[in-house]
Amino acid sequence: MATETTTESVYGHGFPRISESAATGVGGLFSEIAWVCYRSLRKLSRNPFLLMFTLLMPLIWLGLFSQTFGTLFSKAASSGGAPALPYDYIAVLLPGIAIMTAIQSAAQSGFAMVTDIETGFMDKFFVAPIRRSSVLIGKLLADGLRMAAQAGIVLVIAYVFTLAFHWRIPFATGIPGDLLIVTLAAAFGVAFSGLSNSVALFTKSTESTMMVSFTLTFPLLFLSTAMVPLALLPGWVQTFSSYNPVSYVATAARAMILSGYNWTEIGQAFAAIAIVGILLNGLAVVAFRRQGR
Amino acid sequence: MSAALRPTSAIPLPDATTSSARPVIEVRDLVKVFGAGRGSGADSAVRAVDGITFSVGAGEFFGFLGPNGSGKTTTMKILTTLLGRTSGSVSVSGLDLDRDPSEIRKKIGYAGQSIGVDGDLTGRENLTLMGHLYHLPGALVRERVQELLEVLQLTDAADRPAYTYSGGMRRRLDLGSGLVHRPPILFLDEPTTGLDPQTRNAVWEYLRRLHRDEGLTVFLTTQYMEEADQLCERLAIIDHGKLVAAGTPAELKAEIGADIVTIRLPQDEQFDARRSRAVDVVKGVAGVEGASVFDQGVTVRAHNGGATLVEILRVLEREKIPVKEVAVSPPTLDQVFLQHTGREMRVEEVKPMNRTGFRRGGRQ
Repeated sequence: MATETTTESVYGHGFPRISESAATGVGGLFSEIAWVCYRSLRKLSRNPFLLMFTLLMPLIWLGLFSQTFGTLFSKAASSGGAPALPYDYIAVLLPGIAIMTAIQSAAQSGFAMVTDIETGFMDKFFVAPIRRSSVLIGKLLADGLRMAAQAGIVLVIAYVFTLAFHWRIPFATGIPGDLLIVTLAAAFGVAFSGLSNSVALFTKSTESTMMVSFTLTFPLLFLSTAMVPLALLPGWVQTFSSYNPVSYVATAARAMILSGYNWTEIGQAFAAIAIVGILLNGLAVVAFRRQGR
Repeated sequence: MSAALRPTSAIPLPDATTSSARPVIEVRDLVKVFGAGRGSGADSAVRAVDGITFSVGAGEFFGFLGPNGSGKTTTMKILTTLLGRTSGSVSVSGLDLDRDPSEIRKKIGYAGQSIGVDGDLTGRENLTLMGHLYHLPGALVRERVQELLEVLQLTDAADRPAYTYSGGMRRRLDLGSGLVHRPPILFLDEPTTGLDPQTRNAVWEYLRRLHRDEGLTVFLTTQYMEEADQLCERLAIIDHGKLVAAGTPAELKAEIGADIVTIRLPQDEQFDARRSRAVDVVKGVAGVEGASVFDQGVTVRAHNGGATLVEILRVLEREKIPVKEVAVSPPTLDQVFLQHTGREMRVEEVKPMNRTGFRRGGRQ
């Protein structure tokens, strides 16, 4: 078999070895992140079922909350048990629901990490001459885009219902404000996904990731002002919620729906997101760097 | 038990671990201890790699042969920058593992034991992604990907998600994703484990072609004797984290020098006594080069094995040592392994999930 004659070359036709001339730099960094992100989004698009439920989930929450809490409060108001509002209660809940969808996606963020480690795909990333941070950032970028799409759907559908079914939602800041709400929700989601990714990387277990993330998701939401205004919360929950970053994001977003921009609140929201993001994603980075030591 | 049985005479020639060609992989006193420190206790620490020294020359097809858990994969993960090491020095392509890991990554291709293919992406997308992760220009990526798809005979399936691929196709795609950037050195961790014999042969053929046509240096681990024998120009046998023998397959077999007579004894309460008696008596038989024990009996190196066997059996009968089974064979790598470790090598097909390779030693 081993003859001297050259057969068809696996490497083609006399190219120099590519590995000698691989380019890096800032352009290379963006390219790495973009390709990791593209890969995650491509995976989502290849799973129609997952994609469908990703988009359906915000709808389900919207329907559920408008029909239960929304009517509960309007009934309470009509019987004099609660102050009458110039808008439907769903307008109060809307930012909370947008944030909730983002948090739920954030809780699942680590699953893909576990799968990539188990299948050995993560090794492909690690053996390539890319920065490890690119793998994490690219994935978070894809998650962020997905969460923004989900939060956007919540607002779009609420807007359609406002037009079609005469829901009374002010949308006080219009499309620019809505985009800012979507940004806040997605940014918080990305920040919070650090928890899911950290648990995933430390435990390498989908079950653990699911348990930790889902267990924390609901307390985080309901011990905040996301679902119920501060005045209506019991005392100890009020105290807790003042330390809960979700409250700040929800309050800022709610103002944009009901009354208008409150830049102090918006600033506090971004600060809360930054703190959560740095803490949880910092932990994820530590867990990520530990891989293969 | 096996450690006590290991013959001390079987120390490899020191030169055999070194390549005569210009070395592109140089490993010296490599040690990897899992689960050391961190309050886990010293007794739980595992020396997965226990002081390994070897080198691989440019353009060489080099193999690590050993059973599961012998330290093959750990060594490979260290060399491919995927795993840290406890001590020892490693250079790949003349680059130091600590100083230039990212330069090393540009020069190596890697296909792991668990196939690192994204099933949701098509074959073409998998290869394209890797091309871009190696920072190749877009036009070149397209060209390379098309070329590889043709070479790996995946053109027809190129635009189907990889989860629809057969095991052999996935293995080929995985191999391809380590070749997009045309690395001069290719690392393959058990490239044919879990494949049927036909597909295994096909993969061997690709590897031979890659090596022959491109002068690619290949470092492969395997637990298949036949694979090591067929593919590797030089190989090292690894067991319990140590290299027990090294050389060309022919050298290793020649070292045994003679036919191998395997004598299995009944496994009863007198087994140990009879086995040691048997080793002593067969050594006195004319034509016997040497004898050593293994877990089921005795192996004898003998010139003119068939004729010597008759004499061996006569001696054993005179000594009233019952024999369960005998076999005569020309030397194989199985015999080499047996000779150096005192155990027969068993292939385990069923592998645990790839969690261990990533975990940092023991759990807290």
